Amino acid sequence: METLSLEKILDEHPMFRGMKEQHLRTLVESATVVRFEPGDVIFEEGEPARRFYLIRTGRVALQLVSYRIEPYTLMTLEEGDIIGWSWLFPPYRWKFTARALGVIRAISIDGKSVCARCDQDHDLGYELMKRFAQIIENRVEALSVHLVAIEK
Amino acid sequence: METLHHILTAHPFFHDLPARHIETVVGCVSNVRFKAGKVIFDEGEEANHFYLIREGKVALRIHSERRGPLTILTLHAGDILGWSWLFPPYRWKFSAQTIEETRALAADGTCLREKAERDHDLGYELLERFAHIVEERLEATRLQLLNVYQDQ
Repeated sequence: METLSLEKILDEHPMFRGMKEQHLRTLVESATVVRFEPGDVIFEEGEPARRFYLIRTGRVALQLVSYRIEPYTLMTLEEGDIIGWSWLFPPYRWKFTARALGVIRAISIDGKSVCARCDQDHDLGYELMKRFAQIIENRVEALSVHLVAIEK
Repeated sequence: METLHHILTAHPFFHDLPARHIETVVGCVSNVRFKAGKVIFDEGEEANHFYLIREGKVALRIHSERRGPLTILTLHAGDILGWSWLFPPYRWKFSAQTIEETRALAADGTCLREKAERDHDLGYELLERFAHIVEERLEATRLQLLNVYQDQ
């Protein structure tokens, strides 16, 4: 029952639109339903990165947390958004911290194990890279906008 | 064509790209030269190309209402310039202007996108490389942001 509904959720998500059924199945097989309480750290800058999260309800702050400074919120993500891509590249560690701003219901997918097949299965690799590259690009844009805003 | 082939093969970006893909890419590139101070592309314009810089220096800039253009990064020989041709809405998020006379290979993004969509082996090879570049850019911008933020 759970598997069926996960399949439906992923299948209907704009991010995965147009993906082959077998690839969606691979994602579903690596997916679990998760819940976070307000203030929970979903992942933390510098920690090993493995999974990505599809937010179903609630808001998540993507923050820069660094020595000497207060957490700096780069952007807020919400229902339908995807967070987490650092599992794609060495050193496979989170670049940001994701913090739950309320109760979060999400689907967590083991991207690293899914994409372990990317090198053999270029159809899968192409589809995933195309989607996640765009997410990274979106973060670069957000960072740049902040940079312009705070630069003296 | 032989020359372009050699330039591509020797460029670090295409390191290890199988020969048959190099052939495909050659069909989408041409040699270009820009004088010092030339705007290669402007924020908001349609993005159709990317550039492999062979010689010279290019400033990547973002526009600030308050302070005018702010240089985010300077690119040199061996660097890749431009990825907005990869993602909808296919518009430049930054501006690029040469600091010195610059020689580059210009690759037609639309041409490559179509070929990548037809051949996912090529698509994966290209996207993996570009995703990595976007990721490197993110890291550079992230560090820059942390520096500015910590100084305040």
